[in-house]
Amino acid sequence: MTSRSQRIVFWSLVWFSIIVLSLPTVIVLGASVTAGNIITFPPQGFSLKWYEQIAMARDLRQAFGRSIHVSLICLAVSVPVGTLAGIALTRFRLRFSSLIQVYLLLPFTIPLIGSGIGMMLLFGSWGILGSVWPLGVALAVINLPFIIWSVSSSAAALDGDLELAAASCGAGRIEAFLHVTLPGVMPGVITGGLLMFVLAMSEFLVSLLLTDARTVTLPVQIYNNIRSIITPDLAAVSSVFVVLALLAVWLLDRLVGLEIFLKSK
Amino acid sequence: MNTGHPKTPTDKPAAGSNVAVCASNVTMDFSGFKAVNNASFELEAGKFLTILGPSGSGKTTLLQMIAGFLTPTSGEITINGKSVDAAPPHRRSIGMVFQKLALFPHMTAAQNVAFPLKMRRFNPKTIPNRVAQFLDLVKLGDYGARRVNELSGGQQQRVAIARALVFEPELLLLDEPLAALDVKLREEMQLEFRRIQHELGVTTINVTHDQREALVVSDDIIVMDSGKIQQQARPVEMYRAPDNPFVAGFLGMSSFLRGTACAGGLVVEGQRVAGTASAAIADGAPVCGAIRAEQIRIAASEAQLGDCDTRLSGVVRDAIFEGERQLYVVALNTAGEAEIRVYHHDPLTFGLFEIGAPVVLGWNTSDMKIFADGGAE
Ligand SMILES: Nc1ncnc2c1ncn2[C@@H]1O[C@H](COP(=O)(O)OP(=O)(O)O)[C@@H](O)[C@H]1O
Ligand SMILES: [Mg+2]
Repeated sequence: MTSRSQRIVFWSLVWFSIIVLSLPTVIVLGASVTAGNIITFPPQGFSLKWYEQIAMARDLRQAFGRSIHVSLICLAVSVPVGTLAGIALTRFRLRFSSLIQVYLLLPFTIPLIGSGIGMMLLFGSWGILGSVWPLGVALAVINLPFIIWSVSSSAAALDGDLELAAASCGAGRIEAFLHVTLPGVMPGVITGGLLMFVLAMSEFLVSLLLTDARTVTLPVQIYNNIRSIITPDLAAVSSVFVVLALLAVWLLDRLVGLEIFLKSK
Repeated sequence: MNTGHPKTPTDKPAAGSNVAVCASNVTMDFSGFKAVNNASFELEAGKFLTILGPSGSGKTTLLQMIAGFLTPTSGEITINGKSVDAAPPHRRSIGMVFQKLALFPHMTAAQNVAFPLKMRRFNPKTIPNRVAQFLDLVKLGDYGARRVNELSGGQQQRVAIARALVFEPELLLLDEPLAALDVKLREEMQLEFRRIQHELGVTTINVTHDQREALVVSDDIIVMDSGKIQQQARPVEMYRAPDNPFVAGFLGMSSFLRGTACAGGLVVEGQRVAGTASAAIADGAPVCGAIRAEQIRIAASEAQLGDCDTRLSGVVRDAIFEGERQLYVVALNTAGEAEIRVYHHDPLTFGLFEIGAPVVLGWNTSDMKIFADGGAE
């Protein structure tokens, strides 16, 4: 049994964390529904006019469309590659596994500006910088470790004899993979896929380097707008982002259950 | 291999000496370390064989070679007369229950049981009936729609058994599937294995390190140690006439006396002890005498011992109450440290002897087995 004072301390900490973590979001959400013309919190009055504004703004709408496009390409590349890599990493004894461990740490060790400039030079020399898809591929490459983690932690939680069991049931290697291994790691694939999608939607630095006026994505567009004038429509755009992220979490809960996600490291 | 026309459960293999599984000189060498070393055995169709041995003795390795997950470095395995060395595991007709069960977590109990039928191309129309029949066999008739993680440990065991048996394999392999269960459930499941095996008549190889389980469930036992088969025999024979000190020590509670051979027994620390050797041993050779704790009587005086042709006196060093019996550790009155463990079963006289009490031990000469001393215990 916890004592009364322990409970008070515990709940104070919980509420403090919740407030600190959610404060920026609350402020942005609040500012986005202001009826005034400058970005303030608390909002002056209530109106959805800034949402109307962003829905009408052609540049934002197009940038949003491109962001979705980029994120889907990122998914199309990273889900198959990340799934196979994540499974291979945990289910087979690999020769260069220590090397791969280092690779998985890359997102935290190589500054994004470095990989961004590298890709800018590479894509530039290939002459593909004018289109949208290279950014999707680039984001898939940069964030790949996240989905590999997600899938391999899901795969590591499976019984090590699962494929042997499938074989003893009469399944060949490919059948065992399709009917047993793949469904077994599906929670990790879904989690990783949503993570990749959200990361690609909101990635800024590499996107800035790899896009130009014809191919700006939403985060870059927002940045461009901030540089000219800060109006509440930016708060509205940010709110759309927040809602999108919440949607991803809701989807995750429906598809795999949040406990599984929280358990998978 | 699946014929598409599986036997019906009543189609038991004919009794007799038809050999279902035969291993000859099978060795598994993991880069210099022989996990299984020149193992040979035969198993009659329809019998229940248990491979018993301590952890690391090579039981799983041997089983995995039979299942086809490992290819023997040398030697040959035949199943129903055909060499299986070239057949990959999914082409062998072998059902297997794994140590951690390895049920498919994304499927229901019924889907788990149906999986081998789908993979082995059974007529889809017959699958639901067959699944129901085997869920009934393991007494899970009402649980087919449950997900595996919604079942208790014992129920999961039953799903694993049904999955391994549903396609009526030529051979059932069990790799310590009961090891993780608590004692009550384990004993219940042992009897279940026994019942189901009798009902279907499927040839079964079970692996365990639990000597009680081996004695309870098996028609035949193989004891393994360090990759080598130590002995193969029926449970009673194995218990009565162990081939070597390792088997004597692994099955049941034995005491070991080390000494040198003499006519009709051995000399332990200056004391002559009568015993029986199964093979001729030269006088003076180092030997080891083994006797089981329940084959010894203990009393305060020789007169109270009754019929025993060997008597030795000693002092109680420890008295341990085990519920249904009392275990006495008795130091013999020899020049050295030799001691003997005795089970005392009379409920009226529990706690009869205090630590330090002088006692007399008695047994029949034939129960003291004498082996050439190889150092193993
Ligand atoms: N793939 C392998 N490579 C090297 N050594 C192995 C391998 N598999 C098992 N061993 C070794 O072989 C011995 C027997 O293992 P195992 O058959 O699993 O024993 P048991 O099932 O009786 O506990 C152990 O010492 C184990 O470390
Ligand atoms: Mg084992």
